Order: sequence, then structure tokens, then C-alpha cells
Amino acid sequence: MVTQDQNHSKSNPVIRFFSSVRLAIFLLITLAITSIIGTVLPQQEPLQFYERYGPNLFKIIKALHLYDTYHSWWYVTLLVLFAINLVVCTFKRLPITLRLYKRDNLDISLDKLKHMRILKQVILPKNISTEQVISEFKEAVGGSISEKPLKNGKIVLSEKGKWSYWGLYILHGSILVIFAGALVGILLGFKGSVTLLEGEATNHCIQDVTGKPIPLGFTIKCNKFTLSYYRNGTPKDYRSDLSIIDHGRVVIHKVLRVNHPITYKGITIYQASYQAIPRITIKIVASDGQQKILQVPAFERITWPQEHVALGIMRYLPDVHGVPAAQLWWADDSGQPPVAIWLLQGEQRELRRTNNIYRLSLLGVTERYMTGLEVKKDPGVWLVWIGCSLLLAGFLIVFWASHRRIWLWVGEENGKKIAILAGTANKNKLRFERDFETLSEKISYFSGGEK
Amino acid sequence: MNIDSSHILSITTFVYMAAAILYISYWVFKAKRLGIVATTVTVIGFLMQTFALGYRWYESYKLGYGHAPLSNLYESLVFFAWVTIAVYLVIEWRTKSRIIGAFATPFATFAIAYASFNPNVNSQIEPLVPALQSNWLLAHVITCFLGYASFAVACGLAIMYLIKSKSPNPDEGITGALPSLKMLDDLMHQTIIFGFLWLSIGIITGSIWANRAWGSYWSWDPKETWSLITWFIYATALHARFVKGWRGKRIAILSIIGFCSVIFTYFGVNYLLAGLHSYAAPQ
Repeated sequence: MVTQDQNHSKSNPVIRFFSSVRLAIFLLITLAITSIIGTVLPQQEPLQFYERYGPNLFKIIKALHLYDTYHSWWYVTLLVLFAINLVVCTFKRLPITLRLYKRDNLDISLDKLKHMRILKQVILPKNISTEQVISEFKEAVGGSISEKPLKNGKIVLSEKGKWSYWGLYILHGSILVIFAGALVGILLGFKGSVTLLEGEATNHCIQDVTGKPIPLGFTIKCNKFTLSYYRNGTPKDYRSDLSIIDHGRVVIHKVLRVNHPITYKGITIYQASYQAIPRITIKIVASDGQQKILQVPAFERITWPQEHVALGIMRYLPDVHGVPAAQLWWADDSGQPPVAIWLLQGEQRELRRTNNIYRLSLLGVTERYMTGLEVKKDPGVWLVWIGCSLLLAGFLIVFWASHRRIWLWVGEENGKKIAILAGTANKNKLRFERDFETLSEKISYFSGGEK
Repeated sequence: MNIDSSHILSITTFVYMAAAILYISYWVFKAKRLGIVATTVTVIGFLMQTFALGYRWYESYKLGYGHAPLSNLYESLVFFAWVTIAVYLVIEWRTKSRIIGAFATPFATFAIAYASFNPNVNSQIEPLVPALQSNWLLAHVITCFLGYASFAVACGLAIMYLIKSKSPNPDEGITGALPSLKMLDDLMHQTIIFGFLWLSIGIITGSIWANRAWGSYWSWDPKETWSLITWFIYATALHARFVKGWRGKRIAILSIIGFCSVIFTYFGVNYLLAGLHSYAAPQ
């Protein structure tokens, strides 16, 4: 294998630095080691979170942006260096590849041919014409053929897979394509979230990191949210029945499920989460003879004006020993501070206030759902997939596609008519030897010939 | 008692254990017959396990879940053992060398034994949560584990290489029975290339899936990051060999470091770090 560090003396020190394979290996190892940090230290938490590591570590975490390692200036610098190194190394190899690619493989001496490791030589009967042997060879061998006179005869070359020298460029280039795709996504895309109660609609989303609203250019409406469970209680399916409305017209009406996103106008919508929003019914009997049945939706302040009572839901548990439970806050005009009280369906609770005793019971709960959607625009994602495909294609070419050359010389030497078949391949040598054997079997006069 | 797939898999564990002991005895005592027995036992174990995996798939349909047995820690460990044995059997068939079995079958045995006998690993067939209901699950897990299993075999080869190269008289006694250093080096290189290709495909299918399920092809989740770290290590090994001409001992050491990283990607992340891959965690 030809090394890349051959023409050291000619190049300037900057290019020499970036083109050194030592830098490539250093960067690979450094990236491997530094990447560990972000997997051990929780990432993207509020800065105060990291104070628990003590003042010294906190200073380091803050200075080196370890709270968001993979977007820190030094990690991005490593990635940029990696990309530059890749480009420079690859370009520096270009002359070597071009030389290999343009090399005239027909320009070979008979002596060199005779010293090839994979070789067959036979003495031909006098009545066989050179052209006859050559045409038989051409038919059997395939590939691109070239020929010319050599010594007292003629040499023919069949080449295959010369293009495989470019596999390296496809492989290394693919990583740059992936980087480019990621960059396009960062610069031109966004990621946000949307939460919609059943029946609600919105035309914007909340951007993930900044919390800023971003207009979508259309409206998403959640008609209904349903969820189902397996018999053992594991969630089976989350479904949001969505309408996409553009210019007042419903353009898409579809059920959104996990793993089955919906895309409209370059924006993709994903089912991400859900929340059950309770609406509880309570019955209150006061000791002064008044009583009332109240509907209390979550996040709302409900009043009972006759008794000067206000209340609301603080916490809600859908399943406490098989029944729902809710914690309410309660305020009234008794002069006492507001209190919190837990209600369990089927159990009456007494609330003693100075002016009254209230008996509270939780009659029932109805749940409404709120669906959580992830909204994403990433115009670079197709570049990433192209890059990934190129990476695999390049890898297969680099490791499995070989450049193979097979020569046939037919001519006279020492008064005898002889034919020499020789070949070489730069990869998969074992397979080439087998192929070579098969080929020689196909050409009469070579089959069974001496090695 | 009803026999289910996890029973057959526990029995397979003992078959693989026997195979590993046989291979090691074959190596130490240089008894040719033991080698043949070892291969036979391994093939029997492999067929048993193949049947058990197919049966488990069928069982999941009977339970009304209907998914390939690749969905949790138990199933992935079992699959890892299966692929490791498959990769090893191909190498044995192609190189006609049985001694590698003494270094490859223990990895498979350990994985399936851990799955079968560690009380923290749940062997129940469980339904798939919505995020896992994707055909990419199959593609992702199969390709990743083809990579992991190849790296396990490459690690076994690296250990063989180091044992042989450290020995004062490498061509005699137990070390003499090991394949030549050149052959070990060559095989190690081939297996790393094979594993690297599958790891790359595994990472790519994983990101395609993540993009469909969560809308992000790369989110620096600990599992993702560790798979990338593993990828960097093997990329280093390949470049060091191609460009710097590293051979033998240095590549063997990188191969062992690489496999440690594989183990951490697989276990360490599940046990020690939280993330999107929590399905694969023990319960």
C-alpha cells in the first residue's frame, strides 16, 4: 500500500499538518474519548443543575460547555478539523489514484509477465494461429480489452474494475455529504412541539430550545385522540385524528401514529406524547342545608357563589386502588386560609370550616385528551440519506471491488510457439485465483496446461 | 409442564457450554476427535437455538403480539449468541481451523447464559410499545448484532494473537496449536471489516428509524454516541492498518478495546446511562 506521506518535502507546513494520517488517527481517537463526556454527564440541563458537582467541576463544565458537549465550540472544532483533514488527505492522494487509474497496463515486458505469481504457460501446436487463441481468450475473459505487438508475438490485456480506485473518494466524500446534510438541517430547519386538546387547532409550534413560536403556514387540528393497551397494560397504540387545514380547506385528514408521521409542505408531524386532562364531578353538601353538584375541569377556577366558595384541581391520579382520586384547593369566606383536600371516588370527606361543615364526594371523572406532537422541518435530511448510501457503496467498493488484470501473450520463443496467461488482482486474491483457474479451463490449449 | 422457547434456550446454553469446553479441550489436548465432536455439538446447539427462535416468534403470535424475538435485553442477548455462533461456524468452515472455536464459543455461551440465568433479565415475551412497532426494528437489531458478533469473534482472534505472540516458543505446545500469526492477523482484519460494515448499516438503519419515530436521525442519545465511539475505534484500526501499515499486536489491542466499547454500548449504556434505548434495559 502506498503511503500518503510521500511528498513531504514539497508541500507547505499547513497542508502537511492537515494531510497527515497521524492527525486523522489523533482526531478519531480524540473524538472517541471526548464523546464519552456527554454520555456520562447529563446534557442540556439548566446551568444550576451542574452546581451539584462542586465549584471546581462546575467552572470546568461551564467553561468547556460540557452541559452541551456535542454543540460546544471545541467539539465542533474537532469535527471541522476532521472534515478538513478528510478533504486534504483525500485530495493529496489524488495523484496516486490518477497514476493507478491512467497507468498503461499493456506496457509490460515479457520478462515481468513471466514472473507473475498467477501464471500459466503452454506450448502451442504449430498449426494454431495467434489470432485464434486471442479471439478465444477475448470471448472467455470479458472486461475491457486492449492489445499490441510485443517481441515476436502479440499481447492482449483484459481489465476489469479499474474504477474501483475511486471507491475511496466515494467513501470519504460520503461523510462530507452527511455533514453538509446536517448543516443544511441546522441552518434551514427547525424543530418544535405542539400540544392540542381534542377539538383544538393551531397554526404555529413552539421551537424546542428557544421556546419561540414558529408559524407553520397551515393549521393542524386535533379531532380526537385515542389510546389502546395490551391486556397486560402496556400501551399499544397512540392515535391522533388530525386535520391539516390550508387556506380554509382540509387538505389532509389522517390518523397520526408513532412511527407513521405525516408530512405537509416540507414539515413533518410526529406523534410524541399525550396527556389525560380530567374533568371531575363533585357533590358538596353544606351543614347549612345547601348542596350543589359541580363540574370541575382541570386548570380552571370554579365558584359556588351562594356559599362564596372557589375551588380547583391541584393534582389528579387516574388510578388509586382502582378508583380515581383528585386533590382540590378550596377557598371560602370563613376567614381561614385556603386548604387542599384529597377526594377518592366512593368516599365522602368532611371539610370543617368555622362557618360551615362541608361533605364532599367525588362522583365521577371524564377524561379529555391532549396530544403532544413533534413538528420538524429538515430540508437536509435527504442529503444525509444520500451520504449514508454513498458511505455503504464506497465501503463495498473499497473492500470488495477489485481491479483485475489478465494478460495473454502469444508468440514465438526459441523456435516454439508459446502462450502465456498471467493475471493479478488488488483485492480478493483467493477468489481471483479461482476465477483465473476457471478462465484457463475455458480456453483450449490452457486447460490442463502446466503452471 | 409446558415447554416454551425460553426452556429450549436454557437447554441450548448447556449445549454451547459443552461445545466451548470441547473446543478448549481440543486445543489443549490436541485431540482431533474432540474437535469433530465440538463442531457437531455446536451445530446441534445452533439448530436447537434456531428452532427456539422460530418457535418464540410463533409463540408471540399466539399471545396476540406477533413480533420477531428481537425486542428486549433477553431476546437481544440470545440473538447475539446465535449470530456469534453463525459467524464462527462460517469461519470454521472457510478456514478449516477449529481452534478459533475455543475463543469464539465462550462469548456466545456467556451471552446466552447471562440471558437465561440472571434473575434480572426477564425472559417473558412482551408486547411492543408503539415506538418499537416498526419494521426498522428488525433491520436495525439484526445488522447491529451481526456487527457485534463479528467484533466478538475479532476479539477472540486478537486474544489468540496476543497469546501466541507473547509465548517464548510460539510454535510449540499449546501455542503451537494456534493458527499462524499471519493467518490470525488476516482473519482478524477480515472480521473487523465485516463487523464495521454491519455496524455502519446498523447505525444508519437506527437513524432512519429514529427519524421516523421521533423526527430526529441523530440526537446524541448515549446509545447512539457509544455506537459512534465504537465506530471511531474500528475506523482507527482500519486506517492504522491501511495507511500506517499497523499489523498484528497493535491491531489486536485495538480489536480488544473496540470490543470493550461494544460491550459498553450494549450493556453499560443500559445499566448506567439513561436514554431512548431503555427498552433493552433489565427490569
